[in-house]
Amino acid sequence: MSKDVLVVKDLNMHYETLSGDVSAVKNVSFTVKEGESFGLVGESGCGKTSVAMSLLQLQADNAKISSGSIKLDGIEMVGMSESELRKVRWDGISIVFQGAMNAWNPVVKVGEQIREAIREHYPNNTKIQNTEKIESLFKMVGLDSTIMDRFPHELSGGMKQRAVIALALSCDPKVVIADEPTTALDVVIQDQILKEIKKVQELLGLSLIYISHDIAVIAEMTDKMAVMYAGSIVEKGPTSEIFANPQHSYTKSLLASTPSVVGDKVKLNSLEGEPPSLIDQIEGCSFAPRCPNRNTTCHPELDMELVEVGPDHFVDICSASRN
Amino acid sequence: MAEYIIRRTFQMTIVFFLFLVFSYLLFNAIPGNAFSSLLLNPNLPPDAYQRVLEIYGLDKPLLERTQMYIVNFFKGDFGYSYKYFPKTPIELIAERLPRTLMLFSIVNIVAFYTGFFIGKVLAWRRGSKAETWITVTSVFSYTVFYPWFALMMLWVFGYKLGWLPIGKFLYPEKWYDAPFDSDVVFTSMIKFTVVVSLIQFAAYLASRGIESLSLRRNIRFVSLIAIFIGSYFYWNNGEALLQKPYASDIAYHMILPVMVVTVVAFAGTALLTRTTMMEVLKEDYILTARAKGISQKRIRDRHAARTALLPVVTSFIFTIVTIIDGSVLTEQIFSWPGMGQLLLQSVLEEDIPVAMATFSFVGVFALIAHLLADVSYSYLDPRIRIKSQG
Repeated sequence: MSKDVLVVKDLNMHYETLSGDVSAVKNVSFTVKEGESFGLVGESGCGKTSVAMSLLQLQADNAKISSGSIKLDGIEMVGMSESELRKVRWDGISIVFQGAMNAWNPVVKVGEQIREAIREHYPNNTKIQNTEKIESLFKMVGLDSTIMDRFPHELSGGMKQRAVIALALSCDPKVVIADEPTTALDVVIQDQILKEIKKVQELLGLSLIYISHDIAVIAEMTDKMAVMYAGSIVEKGPTSEIFANPQHSYTKSLLASTPSVVGDKVKLNSLEGEPPSLIDQIEGCSFAPRCPNRNTTCHPELDMELVEVGPDHFVDICSASRN
Repeated sequence: MAEYIIRRTFQMTIVFFLFLVFSYLLFNAIPGNAFSSLLLNPNLPPDAYQRVLEIYGLDKPLLERTQMYIVNFFKGDFGYSYKYFPKTPIELIAERLPRTLMLFSIVNIVAFYTGFFIGKVLAWRRGSKAETWITVTSVFSYTVFYPWFALMMLWVFGYKLGWLPIGKFLYPEKWYDAPFDSDVVFTSMIKFTVVVSLIQFAAYLASRGIESLSLRRNIRFVSLIAIFIGSYFYWNNGEALLQKPYASDIAYHMILPVMVVTVVAFAGTALLTRTTMMEVLKEDYILTARAKGISQKRIRDRHAARTALLPVVTSFIFTIVTIIDGSVLTEQIFSWPGMGQLLLQSVLEEDIPVAMATFSFVGVFALIAHLLADVSYSYLDPRIRIKSQG
């Protein structure tokens, strides 16, 4: 039984805007065990990236974590001072950002940007030690060590993304967040990068949080997963269990909207309507207005709450109570 | 790169040639000439004016004169000053140049660094009360009518408070029995400044490769201390000790012009830095840097300000070009006998050889500065590579 590395409990985060507070993350709880990969799936704007940013507390200035707790190795991170957070960042939790293209400072050499991170967390390392470290990282992600002295614009998109992974691993973090790391890449490179992440994760026994809107990628990459809708988790559990036996209507719709490569061409299902505005206070089931499976046994008026329906498999009370 | 510089030098030569021809023709388009006043003098023989014109070759047709001037110019012969006859323009410039260079290089460096520093702090503290006020002040000092501002400062600090001298670059009474010319002092002051900045630059380069940030900072600090101690010994020994009172007299006279021009000049840099840096701060790599756990100051200086530097340096290099023509106004107000005054005087007196020489000096200066700007781009932003073709 491996131990829990990251425990997130009842996390709430909102953006203060001129037209009112936008609750981007609502009562989100999940646990990531050592060496486990955890997937977070949902449509654009559902709060996946807000969760990632809250974990590192890198959210924009107008974003506030109003309640909840984030424990890394048992240490509470909510309410930490900036200098304490700086120590945890990259050393405890590192992140592979959405747009690898822009993750590099264009005027600093790639090697220097990785070196900078190591220098910050291991100030006593010598230059040679750091160079060796970067070389071994590059080797792990399949890059040539000469790339160190290149500028970001001299690398291809795939190379940049590999280098970003090397950067994320540079301080031996406990948890790596991959926030849609393959968004800007073509399919072939996407596949290579995914394999690379998988390989590295297994090699180093990392805990990985994989964020994506692509449920197929989540299926391939993760052991456990959570489905997010309108800022809250509506279903979570072991990936295989959720794919075999989806409980929440939104999860079912997501699965139904994924094309299959084999078999006849079928018209894909798409959901009617729009996700709700997060400015408005949502009472009860947030998915009810769009739910294709509504029937008389529904209780959309119940406050959202996860209930266990199978081993380690949780689903929102509204879908769980339906017959 | 070498090919590029050679090609640019060739282009610059053509531009400079055209520049010479047009300025010579323009100066000759001014009605009358430097010797017209001889005609008004009843004590001179009537043919004196004509003879003087013949001596200087001014009786020849304009095109022939232009051709002769250009040919002689490229041979290195700039003629004689009409006003200070035995002196050549080069001698006059050599006397004036150190004064202007000393004053305005200090002004520009001080203005650039304060402007860049204030600009990056403004962008970093966006939205705070201090930011608003400093931005408003910068806009004021950027747009203020400069001669008025300079005169007001002279009035306040020179006249009302009496802390600083009103104009001139030295107290003549102090220099009556000076064993050397003021230019000697100026030259040694410039030499001193150049050596000091070279040492600091060398210390910076040497410490760049060091991995530990604290050690790097310490080395730079120690080099700064060493410079202070070194300059203390330099000014208290040997020849420099003799020059010290005179040098400090010049330095004392420099305070007010440096201050005034800096106040006016820093604002442009500060506002430009602020704008470009606010753009840079939105970039994803700033978020990456924060996620890496790097300190705020380092993100500001190393990531944000470094990338925002390019347009700022561009505008700065174009400011350098205006050192000499910009000095006309300043030197007039502060009675600073430098290149600016020489330029103005020679134009007013139609001392064409001197005016041509000073103007071509400004021209060469501008051309070289533009070349430097282009070359420095490729260093500041590696994405800009100078192509050999096209």
